[in-house]
Amino acid sequence: MSENKVEVRNLTKKFGDLLVLNNASFSIKNGEFVCLVGPTGCGKTTFLNLLVKLLEPTSGEILIDGEPADPKKHNISFVFQEPSAFPWLTVEENIRSGLELKHMSAGVIKERTEEILNMLGLEKVRKSYPHELSASTEQRIVIGRSFALHPDLLLMDEPYAAMDIKVRYFLEDEVIRLWKATGSTVIFITHNIEEAVYLAERCLVMSPKPTTIKSEISIDLPRPRDISSPEFIRLREEITDMIKWW
Amino acid sequence: MKKFSNLIYAVLPVLGVGALIGVWTILSLQEGTLIPTPVETWERFLVIMTDPISKATLPVHVLVSLKRVLSAFGFAIVLGIITGVLFGWYPRVKALLSPIFELLRPIPPIAWIPLLILMFGIGEVPKILLVFIGAFIPIVMNTQSGIESIDPMLIKAGQSFGCNHRQLLFHVALPASTPAILAGIKMALSSGWMCVVAAEMIAAKQGVGFLIVRGQEAGDTALIVSCMLVIGVVSFLLSAILTKLEGVLCPWQFKKTK
Ligand SMILES: Nc1ncnc2c1ncn2[C@@H]1O[C@H](COP(=O)(O)OP(=O)(O)O)[C@@H](O)[C@H]1O
Ligand SMILES: [Mg+2]
Repeated sequence: MSENKVEVRNLTKKFGDLLVLNNASFSIKNGEFVCLVGPTGCGKTTFLNLLVKLLEPTSGEILIDGEPADPKKHNISFVFQEPSAFPWLTVEENIRSGLELKHMSAGVIKERTEEILNMLGLEKVRKSYPHELSASTEQRIVIGRSFALHPDLLLMDEPYAAMDIKVRYFLEDEVIRLWKATGSTVIFITHNIEEAVYLAERCLVMSPKPTTIKSEISIDLPRPRDISSPEFIRLREEITDMIKWW
Repeated sequence: MKKFSNLIYAVLPVLGVGALIGVWTILSLQEGTLIPTPVETWERFLVIMTDPISKATLPVHVLVSLKRVLSAFGFAIVLGIITGVLFGWYPRVKALLSPIFELLRPIPPIAWIPLLILMFGIGEVPKILLVFIGAFIPIVMNTQSGIESIDPMLIKAGQSFGCNHRQLLFHVALPASTPAILAGIKMALSSGWMCVVAAEMIAAKQGVGFLIVRGQEAGDTALIVSCMLVIGVVSFLLSAILTKLEGVLCPWQFKKTK
């Protein structure tokens, strides 16, 4: 088995005449936490949609574990930018839903659901419906629903973009905790550079359209990271400069 | 302040109904009018509760009408939801069949009565068919529009779990459209109730629609008005029952507190 979880080769995507992804190539290692940063509209969401086959590439390929990506075969899960908790299910049922759709055994479903409710501190609201809760809680439900699957590959598309800073810090720590506990490979998309430096083991910086990977930066600061440390600020500014350049 | 406002909202509806009865009383006391007074209407109502007309008391007539509505209603719900799902979920079925539906839909259900009577006589079948037509249409339309207007994010979420088309229908599209389907069922029930009264007015030996026509034939306006009020009250009760049912089937729609 290859060491790479995801292998992107010469990926190109056009919408009609609009060239969005232009011959992008990169790879992501097993168990890695990677942040994709880039300006709005550069094709980040498009890339994730390609990865889970919600879209077909114009040319090039995406391999998962060395095979063409296929959400029916690979254990992938997706946290979308927009709210996507099922409104007709309670918090608990939402977390169970992915496991049930994948026909896990009753024992596994129960165990994983309890584990996630506990980890995310959602036990008190387990019987509530998403719209009774705040937007950030709804996003936590979706994150819980995704992590409950113990996905090999977790895709997160600007999951915290709509949240205020305090909630975001809390959820960022939470996602790191879940990542460590489950050993998933995580691709986390953001246009918030500070968030990327706080979370990622490696940052892939995307250019504006037509998009390629302009640069990649490894970040091996100890966790929990101190956003006011000189090294943190230096990395943040380095990436900011890269994005300003174009 | 809060208490005062609660009181206002308890009193205003009573005032409204009181005003209606007041105007009604004034009109009914005019020289030479056919309008019965509220008291006459109430007394007529009490009489038909116990004295049979055409071998049935008022509660029996109501039950006869309700039975017609409910027997048609079962078919309308099952076939209406299936048709609505086919239209909303399978674009090819919609392309094939929805032109027929669109053509028939604008015909007022009562326009079917002559044809139904010629084809099926004046027994139960034409009445049940008429109620079916009246109830089927809103259920199809609401189911279809419910399915077509699902938040695409929910479909994507289902797809990201590897759901196939059929799983998406049963685990995402249908639960997401339950409120729309229930709204359709509610409309269908009131439409079905109107249809049964119309059918009974044209040809029936029992039922509330029949009673109204009997009132017309006998020049008994108190009977007509009390039947009209009974029709209104039954319709109100049916819709109240369905609202309760909505709360049971879609609790997530009713606990909006955010
Ligand atoms: N289905 C589509 N059809 C046409 N254009 C699209 C479609 N999806 C995205 N785009 C365009 O592709 C570009 C990249 O979009 P997106 O991937 O959503 O950007 P990001 O997530 O990086 O903000 C944008 O210019 C957007 O308008
Ligand atoms: Mg996006």
